[in-house]
Amino acid sequence: MRCLEEAGEKVPMLGNEAIARGAIEAGVGLVASYPGTPSSEVPMTLSRLSDKLDYYFEYSSNEKVAFETAAGAAWSGVRSIVPMKHFGLNVAADSVSPVAYSGVKAGMVIMVADDPKGWSSAQSEQDTRYYGEMCRLPIIEPANPQEARELTEKAFDLSEEFELPFILRTTTKISHSVETVELGERKDIETEGYFEGEEEMFDNVGPGLQRQHRKVDRKLEEIEEKYGEKLNRVEKSGTEKDEIGIIVSGVSYDYVKEAMQKLDINAPLAKLVMTYPISKKFISNFIEDKEEVLVVEELQPFVEKEVQRIAKDTNPELKIHGKDLLPKDGEYNLEVIIPALEEVFDKDIGIDFEEHEEKAKDAMEGLPPRKPVFCPGCPHRSTFYALKKIYGKNIMYGGDVGCYALGTFEPYDMQDFLISMGASLGLTHGVKKVSDQDVVVTVGDSTFFHNGMPGLANYAYNDGEAPLIVVFDNRWTAMTGHQPHPGTGKTGMGEDVTPLKIEDIAEAMGAEVEIANSFSQEELEEKIKELKQKDGLRVLVSKGECRLVTKRRKKREGKPIVKFQVEQDKCTKCGICTEEFACPAIKEERKQKGEEPKYTIDPDICLGCSVCSQVCPQGAIKPRKGE
Amino acid sequence: MKFDLLLTGVGGEGVLTTGVMITKAAHEEGKYVRGVQLHGLSQRGGTIPTYIRFGDKEGIHSPAPMKADVDLVMSFEPIEAVRATEYARKDKTNFVLNTYPYMPIYGNLENVPYPDMDEIKKRIEPFAKDIKVFKTDKRAKKEFGDIIYGNVMLVGAAVSSGELPLDKDTVRSAVESMAPRNVEENLKAFALGLEMGRE
Repeated sequence: MRCLEEAGEKVPMLGNEAIARGAIEAGVGLVASYPGTPSSEVPMTLSRLSDKLDYYFEYSSNEKVAFETAAGAAWSGVRSIVPMKHFGLNVAADSVSPVAYSGVKAGMVIMVADDPKGWSSAQSEQDTRYYGEMCRLPIIEPANPQEARELTEKAFDLSEEFELPFILRTTTKISHSVETVELGERKDIETEGYFEGEEEMFDNVGPGLQRQHRKVDRKLEEIEEKYGEKLNRVEKSGTEKDEIGIIVSGVSYDYVKEAMQKLDINAPLAKLVMTYPISKKFISNFIEDKEEVLVVEELQPFVEKEVQRIAKDTNPELKIHGKDLLPKDGEYNLEVIIPALEEVFDKDIGIDFEEHEEKAKDAMEGLPPRKPVFCPGCPHRSTFYALKKIYGKNIMYGGDVGCYALGTFEPYDMQDFLISMGASLGLTHGVKKVSDQDVVVTVGDSTFFHNGMPGLANYAYNDGEAPLIVVFDNRWTAMTGHQPHPGTGKTGMGEDVTPLKIEDIAEAMGAEVEIANSFSQEELEEKIKELKQKDGLRVLVSKGECRLVTKRRKKREGKPIVKFQVEQDKCTKCGICTEEFACPAIKEERKQKGEEPKYTIDPDICLGCSVCSQVCPQGAIKPRKGE
Repeated sequence: MKFDLLLTGVGGEGVLTTGVMITKAAHEEGKYVRGVQLHGLSQRGGTIPTYIRFGDKEGIHSPAPMKADVDLVMSFEPIEAVRATEYARKDKTNFVLNTYPYMPIYGNLENVPYPDMDEIKKRIEPFAKDIKVFKTDKRAKKEFGDIIYGNVMLVGAAVSSGELPLDKDTVRSAVESMAPRNVEENLKAFALGLEMGRE
């Protein structure tokens, strides 16, 4: 069983799986998480193994609740981990800061995955390390899956030793990278705890607050003193005079190691594992005899600024490179780091990457562009299509986070903004209050539970002219890999529970509610038209299960999916199915540019949702014969 | 020894699964493995490159290989092979591709025709030491009624043609362990792939 192999075994693992394994080795007793790319495989792995091991696992309704659940366990003496994506920490932050003051009784790890370059459709390249300073929490950064496994356990131990939660910070290329990982011993899992409620932990009123502040600052000083040098390390190789050194953290360590090999550089390398608090002693010792250092870290110059501060005392003459040669935006890789090393060490790899990329770009010139798109059979495409038909594309569409955010692309272009979980409601409310624009709000089921409900309550309370709110309910947190949520009817441990009904919640908040089948254009159109004519708070719950889940279930049960095809004699080549509806299973084939196309449906990717057959004005799309 | 493979295709085509399989086979042979598997948005019909690096641990650190430096590009979708050219270079990189055109909807919307195989090869040639095209998608369709088996078949062809330096037996057991359902079909597809690669 993946992640349960014996200690000493070597297993290729995703960084996120290695973190899950590290938590298991540390004897974690409680796991709470709201899924978010690029961290999702940590909870997915721990969810999958929850019936084999003793810990409690849950998918919480959002990261704040997940954090609080984990902190409650750690207050009661049970080790806990709360994995999340970078924006998740923003949601949780309200409680994170005070829990840093209270401290914990058992090891607690806040695993946060940053996403430079925005592989996860992230809405900003947030650098989580600043939370360390802001919330007074130490930050540990692995470079690769092997370290991720080891440092997860280490973070638990340190957290317990100092009675303070630790942040384990990764980036996409750690979480989603693979490495042969050597496994460690598994500690016994302790799931029983007791909340003692010690006064000195929770006294944060009046002068108590300052005492708590001093307490956490003292802990951070102790951590820096005791582990600042131990956790970090200097790799000194070669015989050169060592006037130039490199300081590196996170995944950049692995890039730098390989780039140094490729460029034949033997400079001393200071590897930071704890990036908050940064050990002044460690940095001072490293830089005191150097003439130059290069600081390599993705995103903001967090370490570089600290090195600048420390150098003022230790070595004011030191020339510090970092963001003068390396970008603050995007993700690093060998091609980004090699030119910086070439510059500092006066080397040449013999490849002009920019020129090579230009040449490759020329080769790609004029290829059909590939952008993310709704999957074949996606219920959201169908809901957007009906909305487009009735409201058009030109009104304001409040966008939100989830698969339906793909509605931002042509031919829909029906997401005016993408900000944060549940933000479609509050933002449109503000727009409505100062304009008389037509607005439709679009929000997903999991997002509704996560942070959409307060926005709906606010509409009910403060806005008699609330717009139509469409909930895209596909039953799962689909974008991150089909995790269950409060409306699914299943827990993260696979138990059946009563699903919360979005329609009941909306009704209880005073909304006029309609439900439509996402795969029925007729029903969608009827309900949207009906609600459009009314005023006040209106919610349409468009229900249609993510077709990928349906497909898997049917496959498991041995049931066929009825696919569709275009009857050529009926097709008038109007192009509505490809240009207006745009399902990737429908092909518009032309041998030459400008030639009359032939429309076909690729049975290999059609998922039989039938909606194309409903939008074809000629009735030319029919189930395949014999199916 | 170090081998850098770029596996590419379109999200939903089984690129990730095939990548896990190859990783497993390399690991079984006692090789150190490193790589990148992207999940998330890229799964939804977008380009999905997977990097797999294996060999001696000493020479492999970075999760992704260097641009202009991979040994093999294996593509389950022809135009995605063209998009991989920035990782390839003329004196080093071989290409193995199938012929399954996954036309993006934006090709339809913007009226850009899908290039034919000759055109695709012509675009790749300046970056390729060798290009091998296997019609595994068509063969899979014919044999099993489902192009998905073309992936395993293409791996088979890459192994037996010597482009992917892994032992056919370790790959076969990886196929077996990865396919709890339809094991028979997958093994047959792999065997057919081995045959196609030898021809």
